[in-house]
Amino acid sequence: MAQDWQPDFERLVDEHQAMVYSLALRMTGDRGLAEEIAQDTFLELDKHLRSMKSEDHARWWLRRVAMSRATDALRRRRVRGMDLWVALNEQDGVTAEEKSSPLGARLEYLLTTLPEAQRGALILRYQEDMMPEEIAAMLDAPVATVKSNLQRGLKLLRAKALSQLKEFIRGA
Amino acid sequence: MDEFERELRQALERRPAPPGLKRRLMAQRDANAARRGWHAWLRRAGYGRGWATATAALLLLAMAGGGVRWELDRRQEERRGEAAREQVLTALRITGHALNQVQTRLAEHDRQSEEGGR
Repeated sequence: MAQDWQPDFERLVDEHQAMVYSLALRMTGDRGLAEEIAQDTFLELDKHLRSMKSEDHARWWLRRVAMSRATDALRRRRVRGMDLWVALNEQDGVTAEEKSSPLGARLEYLLTTLPEAQRGALILRYQEDMMPEEIAAMLDAPVATVKSNLQRGLKLLRAKALSQLKEFIRGA
Repeated sequence: MDEFERELRQALERRPAPPGLKRRLMAQRDANAARRGWHAWLRRAGYGRGWATATAALLLLAMAGGGVRWELDRRQEERRGEAAREQVLTALRITGHALNQVQTRLAEHDRQSEEGGR
């Protein structure tokens, strides 16, 4: 089955643009930058299209490159001394998502206050439904480190949610 | 997975990509492909890095040659101007000398006329 698979750029864009954009957005917190990262990621995919062996390989590759590009972008922005999420909130105000799901939007915001490694691990775990072993393989990190980042990130997020979102959280 | 993790998973559902992302992406891809095509055509035509260097060198040489030529022309014009000026001055000197001679002869003629009248 995998041998019959032929990479179709346009179809891959259709299927994975939401995933790539969401990863970039949640890592950087900047819509414009996330779109730029998504575009760069897909253009990079276009260059490597022939080396894609299967649908799963393409998805794995896109996640990896999107995360890597987002991390690079964060690093560059840190050098310039910008706080991205503050910029996002100041520029865009209340988002459509926040109007429809205030708890989700606040949790999403709290996630952005976590350290980058913990945030990345939680995004891959809860947005992409990846197992710690898969995350470790994708980020070239030891499984123990990923598990630790997940545990610490979740604990920190829970604590923040408990203190700031008492009215919403039932299981925190 | 507890309630909090379920809430988190729900909060982290994928967001739809911004409208127009695919259109912009495809346009950029086409532009890149056209650029790559142009580069590939140049390479196929044997226009590699060596040719580019040679073209740049020729261009520089042509510019330097043009500059030298312009300077030579300017100097030649200057020389011609100088020669013309010299010619005019010589002509003026000759004219002045001739006028002096005429004036001297006229004065001598006047003097002789006066002496004859007496």
